[in-house]
Amino acid sequence: MSSLIKPPLGRETLPVAEGTKRTNPLANVFDELINFARSRSLFMLHYCTGCGAIELPPAMTSRFDMERLGIQPMVSPRQADILLVTGYVSVKTLKRVILTYEQMGSPKYVVGICSCTVNGGMYWQSYATAKKLNDYLPVDIYIAGCMPRPEAVIAGLRDMIDNIKHGKGDVWKDYYRRYDYYLGNQQRLFGEDWQTPTDVIGEARHYGLFGPQTLGAHTALLEQHQRPLEALEMKIEIPELERAHRS
Amino acid sequence: MDWKELVLELVLMPLIAFVVGMGMVLMMRRIAAKLQRRVGPPLFQAFYDIVKLHSKETQVSHGLIHEIGIVMAIGGYVAAETLLPVPGMNGIAAQGGLIALLYMTMIPSLGLALGVGQCANPNGSIGISRALTAMLAYDVPLVIVIFGVAYHYGTTNLVDMIAQQQAGGIATWGAAEMPLLAIAGLFAMQGMLGKHPFEIYVAPAEIATGPMVEMGGKFLGGLFVMQCFQLYTAGVLYVTLFLGGGENWATFLVKSFAILAIPMSIAMLFPRYRTEDMVRLMWKWPVMLGLLGLAFIVR
Repeated sequence: MSSLIKPPLGRETLPVAEGTKRTNPLANVFDELINFARSRSLFMLHYCTGCGAIELPPAMTSRFDMERLGIQPMVSPRQADILLVTGYVSVKTLKRVILTYEQMGSPKYVVGICSCTVNGGMYWQSYATAKKLNDYLPVDIYIAGCMPRPEAVIAGLRDMIDNIKHGKGDVWKDYYRRYDYYLGNQQRLFGEDWQTPTDVIGEARHYGLFGPQTLGAHTALLEQHQRPLEALEMKIEIPELERAHRS
Repeated sequence: MDWKELVLELVLMPLIAFVVGMGMVLMMRRIAAKLQRRVGPPLFQAFYDIVKLHSKETQVSHGLIHEIGIVMAIGGYVAAETLLPVPGMNGIAAQGGLIALLYMTMIPSLGLALGVGQCANPNGSIGISRALTAMLAYDVPLVIVIFGVAYHYGTTNLVDMIAQQQAGGIATWGAAEMPLLAIAGLFAMQGMLGKHPFEIYVAPAEIATGPMVEMGGKFLGGLFVMQCFQLYTAGVLYVTLFLGGGENWATFLVKSFAILAIPMSIAMLFPRYRTEDMVRLMWKWPVMLGLLGLAFIVR
């Protein structure tokens, strides 16, 4: 559990690249503004895995109204900032959660709601349930409870807003810097030929988020069997059209 | 006119449109919140959203056209703002006229269609085909309204129209002289804004916000900026055609916000029509109202 309390963020492993030194005297002011805007505008993805999802509609609608905190639902992972994992994640669901997570634009935040995401909860003995969410994804905050009431959900999100406001909402970088660790856990669950369409290593390299633990034994395994992504073949199958074409 | 003054106006007009547009977005969300008995977003929510979206650190682009499409979408509206006269500033409105303005307001939809096309997401393609069908639906009454208004004033010059309406007070406003066309114009504006009940092309639950499905970060930020411009353009165009333009900034802003509050309030009270129902409704009632209004004008 030590990793949960203090995520091992390799802060020292991110040297400022040559030639990108920020010379703008107002850089700190902009950083403050951006952090504040990020904390007050959070789009959360509608991906609700378990029973905790039932507590979100009251949190969003007139009784508790999340929109006054700037939190509003969005439907596509490309647009979202928060991935809410509301309840137990079965092995099958976890695959989709990871695919969704990798498609989101950074900075992105993961919120584990319900006890099931913390330690498996009442599904502890299940063979098909992933127990600790932060083995597979970097989690910003957990909101424990079975299920947490809307007040608890909003209190948890307020804590996360505070973190982001003070520049501490950078847990997402951990996924790039310790990709080998997360991929290893994913491979343990999904088998050795697990592969996602997102090139996480390439992204880490491109955005300067490369850490000493990005590559390792598990990413080497990934590279062995990795199939290059190909564009989908575009075709329309209309039998009448094909018959007319043939004759 | 001095060229320096003209350049200043061309820069200022889109900027003012953007700031006022953010206020309109805020009003839209506040109205929705009030109707649902919520508190609603804080005062600068639209600004926070736009800053946040533009400060995303990783970004997925699907190619050059995807990026150009967004630039077209915003650029079309920026050009439209310089053609819309506001109190004290005419920009190039006297040279452009109503027809050029209408062309400019079509460009964003086409730019969006181009950009979404390159994303190759089936949800996006469905959304954009519905959006263009919707455009076809509301453009027929819109063109009738525009023709009637231009025929009534005998000009397509927006500056002249405002001068004619302001000559005799409220009695010479477009809405007082052509009430049927004004109602048809409200219908068309509801479709133009893409609000309920004509909101089929975004359909958040079914096709995951349609054209916006692959837009994240700066792309979505661009679309949020576009939304500010879109609300401003629709509101100000209606005020210019039917409510006598603005004598000064206070009345101008009051009129534009008040006229936009109508479609926004209606939007929150209705579910949405399907595409074919929308086309049928748009080609039936507002067109009938518009043609009737036209008959009164041309008689």
